Amino acid sequence: MEEQRERWGSKLGVILAVAGSAIGLGNFLRFPVQAAKNGGGAFMIPYFVALFLVGLPLMWIEWTIGRFGGGFGHSTAPGMFHTLWEKNKFIKYFGVIGIFGPIVIFIYYVYIESWLLGYSVFALLGKYNSCTTEQSMSAFLQAYQGLVKNEFFANLGPSYFFFLITFILNVLIVYMGIQKGIEKVCKWGLAVLFLFGIILVVRILILGAPDPAKPDFNTVNGLGFLWNPDWSALKSAKVWLAATGQIFFTLSCGIGVILTYASYLTKQDDVALSGLSAAATNEVAEVIFGGSIVIPAAFAFFGPVVTAKIAGGGAYNLGFVTMPLVMQKIAFGNIFGFMWFMLLFLAGITSSISLAQPAIAFMEDEFNFSKKKASWVFGLVTFVLCQPAIFLLSRGVVDELDFWGGTFCLVLFATVESILFAWVFGMENAWTEMHVGSDITIPRIYRFIIKYITPAFLLFVLGFWFWQDWTSIILMKNVPKENVLFVLGTRIGLVIFFGALAFLVWHIWQKREQKRKEGMQPDAF
Amino acid sequence: MRFDGWIFMILSWLVILSLFFYSLIHTLRSKDSNKADVRRSSG
Repeated sequence: MEEQRERWGSKLGVILAVAGSAIGLGNFLRFPVQAAKNGGGAFMIPYFVALFLVGLPLMWIEWTIGRFGGGFGHSTAPGMFHTLWEKNKFIKYFGVIGIFGPIVIFIYYVYIESWLLGYSVFALLGKYNSCTTEQSMSAFLQAYQGLVKNEFFANLGPSYFFFLITFILNVLIVYMGIQKGIEKVCKWGLAVLFLFGIILVVRILILGAPDPAKPDFNTVNGLGFLWNPDWSALKSAKVWLAATGQIFFTLSCGIGVILTYASYLTKQDDVALSGLSAAATNEVAEVIFGGSIVIPAAFAFFGPVVTAKIAGGGAYNLGFVTMPLVMQKIAFGNIFGFMWFMLLFLAGITSSISLAQPAIAFMEDEFNFSKKKASWVFGLVTFVLCQPAIFLLSRGVVDELDFWGGTFCLVLFATVESILFAWVFGMENAWTEMHVGSDITIPRIYRFIIKYITPAFLLFVLGFWFWQDWTSIILMKNVPKENVLFVLGTRIGLVIFFGALAFLVWHIWQKREQKRKEGMQPDAF
Repeated sequence: MRFDGWIFMILSWLVILSLFFYSLIHTLRSKDSNKADVRRSSG
């Protein structure tokens, strides 16, 4: 059967789509907190080591596997893994993680993304202008999330309204397809994101010392808070793991979305330069923009003690509580507040549409669904699955989804694919495949790094995590008693969902095998 | 901000901007893959 597969419109389009997938809330909120907490400038040493030994190799591995699998008509990991290791009957079930993980992340990420849309409107309308302290801004956020009722919000209505808009937007974009939907949104979205990023960085850095009575509370010292190196941090394994984790999550590796995006390339399209370009674009957003907005701004207005407390409070606090307070203190704060939340919303939506694509591509490829039908099915299923994340936010459901979908599955999936690529597919084949149509030559040292260092690094991270946290996570030692049932329910739901996806893969392969035996379909592999 | 803080910030920015502009220039110079083709699908 000859079919017209979807294609990217241009090389820049696919690079920006992958960069858009990688650039998310973590670039602007997680990175500065991690750097400030883990040695400041010294954090950048393990950060760059992880970028060159794990991040870039994984980028090239995923782009190459994606393009290779796409050549056999597969856009998702089960088919791609099977193509790489035909003799193994079970490897396709590992590939299920590449569809399961993105859906699990999507069902809570799209809700958090909707807060950003809501807050960007609130910023323009001045809805939180009456909140002038951390306590009142936290109360505003909690009421918006439906955790409490107060003078700001009496119910979840406004939050649900923005969720619906965000959700429909996401489904609509993926329904429009690769070129007219995802590519167009990422091109425009990233252009606006970079423009807002530059404006915000300049605005924050020229703040100087906003309070003349406290000249030490200034943006340069704020940069110092983030960049002054604490050399002792380099002796801590925790800091090295934190840096590796940050690189891992920021590049969107191990999720499965790069595989799907790269599957729409042609055999002669470059993957080496494209992978590098997407990673470099993400790093600009993370280190240059992410490192120059929130921490310097918080420091200039609140000083070192409060900034340390804010950074310790986590990324959400920084984004939804501290930054609106900061924006209110500067001229045209409503406009800059809007830019801040819109920047985060654009970072969010270019990521969430990438999370939706593997499931849609899976239905199109394996069930011959039309784009319209696949989008409808995806929309209906994920809409139902989003509800626990919205209504049981205080019960630890989102944290649980984030851990399994957004952390554990990523590391496991990346470990499996790196071993599969370098050891099963073979480094000779892998190296040749990486350079087909390539616009640059990857340094030869990466043959050694991809074969030995990257898998070993990932196995170490996975093993260390098992050794350190496995028992407490499985036994729910850190889960409050009142949340145990909800967390357990989430886990059971995830197991059932994974089982259902694995069953679908089994069913497809059974049918394919049956057809092959009947001589109706030549073996594609 | 201490002197070593400036050094770390400037070096980090330099590494990242070098990577970014290197890849940007090569991407803009390279052939654009704006061609539609038909690929065999296992469907």
